[in-house]
Amino acid sequence: MLWLQLLVNGLVTGCALGVVAISFSLIYATTKIFHVAHAGVYTMSGYIAWSLVTRGVPDLLALLMAMAAATVLGALIQSQLYARLERRRATHLVILIASLGTLAVIQNILAAVYTPNILQFPEPWGANVIAFAGVRLTWTQVLTVAVCLAAFGAVVWFAHFTILGKRIRAVASNPFLAQITRLQPQTVYVIVVAIASAIVALPGVLVPLDFGLQPYGGVTPLLTATIAMIAGGVGSIGGAFLLAVGIAVLQNLSLLVMPGEWSIGITFFVFVIFMLFRPTGLFAAAR
Amino acid sequence: MTAYLEVTGLNKSFGGLQALRDCSFTITQGRITCLVGPNGAGKTTIFNAITGFLRPDTGSVAYRGNPLDGLSPQAIVRHGIARTFQNLRLFADLTALDNVLIGINGQFAEEPLGAIFRPFHAASTQRRRSAEALTILDHVGLADRARELVRNLSYGEQKLLTVARVLATGAELLLLDEPASGMSAGALDNIMALLRRLQTEGKTLLVVEHNTRVVQQIADDVLFLHQGHLMAQGTPQEIIADPALAEIYFGGAI
Amino acid sequence: MDFWFSYVTLAAIYVLLGLSTNLLVGIVGIFSVSQAAVFGVGAYVVAHFLMATNPISFLPALGISALCCILLNVIVTLPSLRVSGDYFVVTSFGIQLLATAVFTNWTEGTGGANGLPGIPPPDLFHRPLEETWQLMVLCLAGLALGCLCFFLIMRAPYGRLLRAIREDELAIAAAGKNVLRAKVSAAALAGAFAGVAGGLYATFLSFIDPSSFDLDASILLLTMVVVGGARTLAGSIIGPFLLLALPQLLTLVDIPSTFAAAMRQLIYGVLLIVFMLFRPQGLAGERL
Repeated sequence: MLWLQLLVNGLVTGCALGVVAISFSLIYATTKIFHVAHAGVYTMSGYIAWSLVTRGVPDLLALLMAMAAATVLGALIQSQLYARLERRRATHLVILIASLGTLAVIQNILAAVYTPNILQFPEPWGANVIAFAGVRLTWTQVLTVAVCLAAFGAVVWFAHFTILGKRIRAVASNPFLAQITRLQPQTVYVIVVAIASAIVALPGVLVPLDFGLQPYGGVTPLLTATIAMIAGGVGSIGGAFLLAVGIAVLQNLSLLVMPGEWSIGITFFVFVIFMLFRPTGLFAAAR
Repeated sequence: MTAYLEVTGLNKSFGGLQALRDCSFTITQGRITCLVGPNGAGKTTIFNAITGFLRPDTGSVAYRGNPLDGLSPQAIVRHGIARTFQNLRLFADLTALDNVLIGINGQFAEEPLGAIFRPFHAASTQRRRSAEALTILDHVGLADRARELVRNLSYGEQKLLTVARVLATGAELLLLDEPASGMSAGALDNIMALLRRLQTEGKTLLVVEHNTRVVQQIADDVLFLHQGHLMAQGTPQEIIADPALAEIYFGGAI
Repeated sequence: MDFWFSYVTLAAIYVLLGLSTNLLVGIVGIFSVSQAAVFGVGAYVVAHFLMATNPISFLPALGISALCCILLNVIVTLPSLRVSGDYFVVTSFGIQLLATAVFTNWTEGTGGANGLPGIPPPDLFHRPLEETWQLMVLCLAGLALGCLCFFLIMRAPYGRLLRAIREDELAIAAAGKNVLRAKVSAAALAGAFAGVAGGLYATFLSFIDPSSFDLDASILLLTMVVVGGARTLAGSIIGPFLLLALPQLLTLVDIPSTFAAAMRQLIYGVLLIVFMLFRPQGLAGERL
């Protein structure tokens, strides 16, 4: 039942990618900035957790501290870099380049400190397997799905049912109006990036439990996540998550017919299809 | 005889807002027609619809009998209709001369191959085009400001430059969006004289204008637009004298 | 002496890449992290034709490579120019990652991760150029030609059109000019420069592997344009010469080699941030 195993693997990875996608989508829909450095925040969280765990910090605490570190980093990038550039009326291109520079700085600091080689988490419990219907699931995989689905639910609830969430959506839909009312978009931007960075730390720690840590390993997941966001429709949290799961399943199922190194081709193929036939995505937010 | 410019049944809504409502009118060749109406009446929307920047929901525009529906803005310019923008949209970091040159059609080396493989031909044709552009600038009275960057020109000079740019395209029907707004009295007379001069040279003008003095002085016809629909059409005297229209325009005050 | 020849030769090749990146990023204003991928395509194509069972001469191979890269750039930019700029960011990343995957895994075509060794030196009219100084002269000639093309383009009405497009596309359309055609032709030109650079690179080093054409390499190219300065000839020349001197400077500091690559990339990242914050026009360019 290889295809079933691959399907399940895809669902698991998809949940993790889905969280990356919705966190990126939160930032992009609100600040309109294509925050490529988000991949760096994602990667860094894993390394922070690893450093703590290998020094004997309990797992849950390490996760929370990694999330805290991610929050701080994200908030710093938004408030010190992006906000400053926007005050100087920098063009979109300038901000993108600055974000790319930030990504390069984060990744290479990690590479210098931890070496470019793959690091593994010392988590023997994670390898325990439950098997059913011909499918094997590691505990890490179960944990990943549970946590990421919970995060998805939390974000949806937050966006629609809390005052802060509504304020964020108001700023996202009309930044100009937000500027001249009391909504203070710049503060909202920092809050949004901080929250999204905390959220992306979750898959940032969970995914390397199975796949290991690599300093440059954040770019491909980020790319897949952004494609999921675009294909799902910018502004649609559910759409981004759904498409992320869909793409991950597709990538895993494609292993039946082609080698894994080409999975980036699958992702890109999905993107091209959407660009050709439905550039606004499946569930684009109603304007 | 087919109308010079015929606008038929234009409808356009943005979300819940109906910008154009069954808007129809014709423009006669060789005349200066002023488009007036309160803010939000849809004047710039009409410009956008005629010149291809906007696709109307229903309705059509025909120029000299040829339908313009679905054509790109560039194609419509090639047909002979050019427009200015209320917020100018000049190229601030280019010289006045360059701004006019951008409008001139059919230039050699406006693509890379000609520029690379025939540089001397490119240079000589450029000299000729520059002379043409200078003539156009002279026509609007900006010849001595040709080499200035647009950001260093006064507002009045920039407005004249927008007219120069549409003249450069060679278009016969010129759509001018508030060419006189924000001008000092002297500059105002300048531009009104320019518009009448253009008319004697065979251009047809459709001008959006708020200033009643300007409308009275230059318009042959006036189209009064309200809530996206043509309310009235006539000579400037007729339109200005109508108390009902004044009520709409000024909101009750005289 | 050989060291200086190598430095100048490499710098000349990277100036061509700098012109290519400057056209795309500086002049048209597209965020591109895939220029190294196009560079790689150029290199592998030339290597392929020079090492084929019926090898062809260098200049025709260069022509084919330029053509391939032009096609690649046009295909990539054409659809993405019609949608918002951010979508091109995704496309660009995708192209770069996809290209690296192809370079690394298509072992029959590209030699895979181990690369292609033994690429013959370039030949002019059937006389191979084997001396280092000869290669340097060839690359400098390429540099001169590239700079001449760039100069002629920017001086012509085409250059004016490109500059105006960056300011206000809507006004260009209102003036009756085709924006898409101008942008695509700029992307095509950028492709041609990258293809020629790739061919010179492959024959100069006689060995190529995927690590020269990955995302890090694209970031280096971007840094060259940012530091040198956007949209000017001077910027396209200064950037590469300066940034290629950086690794040499780093060898003066005692850093273990595993560190060195990360250090270099770290410096590029810092340069990008610093220049965008404090000097977006670079050393000799115009504001990005």
